Amino acid sequence: MNLLQEIWQSIVRRDSLSTDKGKSELVFLNVWLHIHPAKVKKENMKFRHSFYLGFITFFLFLILITTGIALMCYYRPYPPQAYQDMKDLQFVVFMGPFLRNMHRWAAHGMVVCVFLHMCRVFYTGSYKKPRQFNWVIGVFLLLLTLGLSFTGYLLPWDQLAYWAITVGTNIGSYAPLIGGQVRELLLGGHSVGEAALLRFYVLHVAVLPSLVILLTIVHFWRVRKDGGLSRPVWKLKPERETLVTIGAPAEAAPLTVKASTTKTYGLMEVVTGKPIFETVSAEEEEDTVFSFPYAFVREAVTLMATVTTIMVMSLFLNAPLEELANPAKTPNPAKAPWYFLGLQELVSHSALLGGVVAPALMVLALIAIPYIDRNPSRRPRDRKWVLWLFTIFVVANLVLIVIGTFFRGPGWALVPPWVHVVGGAE
Amino acid sequence: MNRRTFFKLSWGTVGLAALVSAIGVSLAAVVRFLMPSVFYEPPQAFKIGTPGDFAFGAPQFLVEEKIYVFHDRDKGFSVASAVCTHLGCTVAHFQSDEKFHCPCHGSVFAADGSVQHGPAPRALDWFEVTLARDGQLRVDKNKVVPPTYRLMV
Ligand code: HEM
Ligand code: FES
Repeated sequence: MNLLQEIWQSIVRRDSLSTDKGKSELVFLNVWLHIHPAKVKKENMKFRHSFYLGFITFFLFLILITTGIALMCYYRPYPPQAYQDMKDLQFVVFMGPFLRNMHRWAAHGMVVCVFLHMCRVFYTGSYKKPRQFNWVIGVFLLLLTLGLSFTGYLLPWDQLAYWAITVGTNIGSYAPLIGGQVRELLLGGHSVGEAALLRFYVLHVAVLPSLVILLTIVHFWRVRKDGGLSRPVWKLKPERETLVTIGAPAEAAPLTVKASTTKTYGLMEVVTGKPIFETVSAEEEEDTVFSFPYAFVREAVTLMATVTTIMVMSLFLNAPLEELANPAKTPNPAKAPWYFLGLQELVSHSALLGGVVAPALMVLALIAIPYIDRNPSRRPRDRKWVLWLFTIFVVANLVLIVIGTFFRGPGWALVPPWVHVVGGAE
Repeated sequence: MNRRTFFKLSWGTVGLAALVSAIGVSLAAVVRFLMPSVFYEPPQAFKIGTPGDFAFGAPQFLVEEKIYVFHDRDKGFSVASAVCTHLGCTVAHFQSDEKFHCPCHGSVFAADGSVQHGPAPRALDWFEVTLARDGQLRVDKNKVVPPTYRLMV
């Protein structure tokens, strides 16, 4: 019995979790948990502040990595074997369809959740000082997520995949000057073929996931360094007027912060030049609880709910697999993946304006948001204009996607979804 | 500026220049590495068979090559690209209206390949077709010709 206890102690090396010391040590002494603070603000963990969308996105990414590695065991990235392997996964491999479904639905889910997460961060004004740059990192994570979906889309090498990528990469070639070369570089050829499949595979399983992991680490680190999540909007207090100056390390500017009657400032606050919590008062101290179990239980439940949802979906909904890619025959209509259908809709009006200029401006505008919006207030009633603008942006995107998905028939003609087109143009 | 700062600055500049050029050269090398030196793709110039293989009237669609071969009784041969100039989908030639229709975003090209409708930015390409020594028709996709180009055999 003593030996068992000793072994356990040698692993965890902390006091019992019934003590506050043990709860703190659990976080401090564990390499995986110490991205959390030992204590968190209860109110910031409220579901209706963040909807846990960042966590859900991250957990979906974990599902994608595990199921993706499993799929790699049966997938050969060259035509036409790639398609044969998908058929095998569909009909021969034990649990093949289930794993493939999980990978597919988690991928769609990640696109949805990363977008919703961005909306949440915007609507709560959480991109404001000091979090401006974490928003920028977030925009890159959004782009990488789309890149992962796009490269993954080609891998089944069926008609859907082939034509979506043909159309998609041709959009890029409209970029002035370098467009054509960039496309050639991406495809490793002049059209979507063997070389393109291999390159998309390399991007999909090695390059892009590594970049997502790197940026996610930075993203989380900064969330932590900015004092955890932003304060829920309903908890914001009127700004305090008096400023105090604390600590002036050699050569550095002294740190000036809003006065607080109850708080003492720690060394890390002097080093970083900012208070760890946005505003701390006695009342807020009371609002603070240990990460164990409060934060960990919430995260675990979110993880379980995410995995369960994807599993249940994968039991009942099958990922599509069409005929083998046929470069000679374009399906009618040929549609890009749904999250690019807004783009395709724009492209159907003008390839240069809709396919290159509009998306480039959109990304630049997203990146610039925290630096354009200089209003320090996070209260909705102080930000009416920007909230409206962002809502228009979101709704415009959704409308375009809905039109592209449901209202476009053969020959990209406007056809309402309730009209059935018999024998489209061949 | 004394001797010491002068050396510090010059070494610093040299070092920085070395670093920047090393990164620049490496990046250029990576881009060149990714640009294939050989394309294992179908050749751009190829033979498609003898004139007798092509009936008059409706054009023949060659799947691999993505071209339409027209054989007119009076005017002879002409070859049109089947690749839509918008985003590269394969256009379909309708016998009913003698036009090319693109399934992807609805571009329509007239019989001479010019854009009639839709987002396509320019007309379909026409390729040079010649008679090779062995009596076969030879198409060269590198040589774009005006839509009036004909080969009389
Ligand atoms: C792979 C994609 C992403 C992952 C895995 C991810 C993950 C997370 C997580 C776990 C949090 C903690 C809070 C929460 O659950 O909401 C967070 C916060 C944050 N995220 Fe993301 N995120 C991603 C993409 C983005 C995007 C696209 C943006 C914006 C353009 C963004 C901006 C932010 C900001 C500013 C915070 C701090 C919010 C606050 O303090 O309230 N992230 N992210
Ligand atoms: S590819 Fe032909 S209309 Fe877009």
